[in-house]
Amino acid sequence: MTDAIVLDNVTKHFQKRSKRNEITTLKSEVVRILKGQRKLVEPATHIEALKGVNLVVPRGTTMGIVGRNGSGKSTLLKLVTGIYAPTSGTVQVNGRISALLELGAGFHPDFTGRENILINGIILGMSRAEVKSRVDQIIEFAELGDFIDEPVRTYSSGMFMRLAFAVATHVDPEILIIDEILSVGDAHFGKKSSAKMNEFRQSGKTILFVTHDLGSIETWCDTAVWIDGGKTRMVGDPRQVVGAYRQAVAAAEAEGERVGHSALSSPGLALPDVKAPAPVEVKSPVTVEELRLRDGVGAQPSAFSADGALDAHLDLALSAPASCDVSVEIATVGGVTLFKTMYPVGPLPAGKTTVRLSLPRLGLGDGAHVLTATAWSGELPPHALSKSLVVAPHPSAVGLIRPEHAWATEPAREPVAPLPAAQATAQA
Amino acid sequence: MLRNLQELYQYRALLWALSLRELKARYRASVLGFLWTFLNPTLSMAVYALVFGVLMENAPERYPFYLFSGLLPWIFFSTSVMAGTTSVSDRKDLLTKVRFPAQVLPAYVVLTNLINFVLSVPLLFLLGIAFQDTPSWHLVFMVPLLALQTLFTLAIVYLLSALNVAFRDLQHIIANVMQLAFFLTPVLWDVRSVKGLDRFGLVLSADEVQRAVVLVNPMAALMTAWRDVFFSHRVPDVEPLLVVLGITLLTLWAATTVFERRREEFAELV
Repeated sequence: MTDAIVLDNVTKHFQKRSKRNEITTLKSEVVRILKGQRKLVEPATHIEALKGVNLVVPRGTTMGIVGRNGSGKSTLLKLVTGIYAPTSGTVQVNGRISALLELGAGFHPDFTGRENILINGIILGMSRAEVKSRVDQIIEFAELGDFIDEPVRTYSSGMFMRLAFAVATHVDPEILIIDEILSVGDAHFGKKSSAKMNEFRQSGKTILFVTHDLGSIETWCDTAVWIDGGKTRMVGDPRQVVGAYRQAVAAAEAEGERVGHSALSSPGLALPDVKAPAPVEVKSPVTVEELRLRDGVGAQPSAFSADGALDAHLDLALSAPASCDVSVEIATVGGVTLFKTMYPVGPLPAGKTTVRLSLPRLGLGDGAHVLTATAWSGELPPHALSKSLVVAPHPSAVGLIRPEHAWATEPAREPVAPLPAAQATAQA
Repeated sequence: MLRNLQELYQYRALLWALSLRELKARYRASVLGFLWTFLNPTLSMAVYALVFGVLMENAPERYPFYLFSGLLPWIFFSTSVMAGTTSVSDRKDLLTKVRFPAQVLPAYVVLTNLINFVLSVPLLFLLGIAFQDTPSWHLVFMVPLLALQTLFTLAIVYLLSALNVAFRDLQHIIANVMQLAFFLTPVLWDVRSVKGLDRFGLVLSADEVQRAVVLVNPMAALMTAWRDVFFSHRVPDVEPLLVVLGITLLTLWAATTVFERRREEFAELV
């Protein structure tokens, strides 16, 4: 089996075409000569976007790319797509490729959705016959109704993106390149897009995608790569890569608070190494090997009910007998803690132990959250594992949390009576 | 050069779709729509007929018809060159968003104008009929002439579009050069009416000057040939056209070489 994408020591330089704010024009040159200034010697006239990247994406796998703004992620995708040519090194791509870098390439505002499907499909690499045979699927997927025969300039931005996404995903490529566009449309369309992505994965396509939504890297990808300052900083298991990336960002933020500036304040600069307690030397005797999330009846639903139960099973592995503590934290994807609870497990023998946290009622608002289980022993460095926790939407409630509550209508102009106890139960 | 043209053939569906859209888009928002493709040349024909047929009584015989038989091929050339120069540099949206075969951009501009030209030829015949002139069998020469002019235009447009990406002044220079070229090419005047030269120490007969004009400027040779086919109903001279073919192949080779060498930086510079 050949690999879908192979990058061998790829570098990419960009010409810097201006010095500070001053673009070299004939006028500025004449002014400079009249003023008798000497020509400035420009030391660095190019930007190194990528400084030697090696990467192999095996066929049929999904790889996520994380990294800061300006670290070279998009440049990397453009090199793989063939929009840019590498300055040195080789880019090898085996298979028909479709890139969703920016949606709606070549859309003409004066043409109808239907006409734009044809031209956009051909631009994306389909033949005329292929587009014609898929037009109905695309229209159905985009959910535009009668608007499909209206000029695209009359579309709302959401409609435009839906149509563009629909065309792009119906190209039927072997390799799909995606740059931060899965968040198209409303919740309903988002679900459809995710289903489409899943379909791609299950049919054995290779997917390479960039996102800042670290949760989706953990849930979607087989491998993750962290690009930092134009180099691959880490490749491997998505959870480990995302964990290391989070730590580095947190460390840089902490440094920024301390010193007043950090690598985060200048785009593209590599993050400092995390001076974390080196895991090899002082290894934690306890690790969270596996984290299983189940509902009240032991099933593993794709979305949990806000009013249902949640059981979190933490499979701990101990290399030696030790006294352990664990904690479970539920946070938003943005990192806001919704709930955190700690539990001193106490002395445990060497080997495996499962600790269970039961929530009879989840009580969270809908959306994707991150559940992190952490285990540690005394002052030794903790070990953590995260899972994505999706809560299903409820027709009559919004917000981050969903406490037990009840509604009642009371007769007017009568003294307020205490609520009957029977009504104070949770709403179904 | 061959690889470039072969790729162009590969992308013919894209080329065709873009050209059709361009033709449709041009008049999309207008009430008369596609009719403007015919109305525009008809109206300018009417203007020329008014000026040279009615107002200027000492104009040469059948001058509006003469003028138009040259003006249509010239418009094909000049609009292709002007729109083609910016065809790559204006399409940031396509070049930086998807993997896009850059040579399709100048090529589809030429194709669009070619279609426009072919569509307007019947109007020329109508004008001819108004001047008691009917098309003759010499029209078969339209095919090789069309092929030759299209290739020549394509070569020029490849070169200019590739250079304009890094050097945007070119588009403004070209606008002026085209105006100069319009007067240096026998569109308004007849190459056979050019007189001999005796100036700056040069003594040339009328015949020599006429040959020089046609051999130096490929468009002059093409223009003369178009006139032969449309207006004079005679077989065009082969010799100047062979020179044009030679110049065309050389230019096309140079242009595709430049284009291929530069295309990698298009996405970065547009």
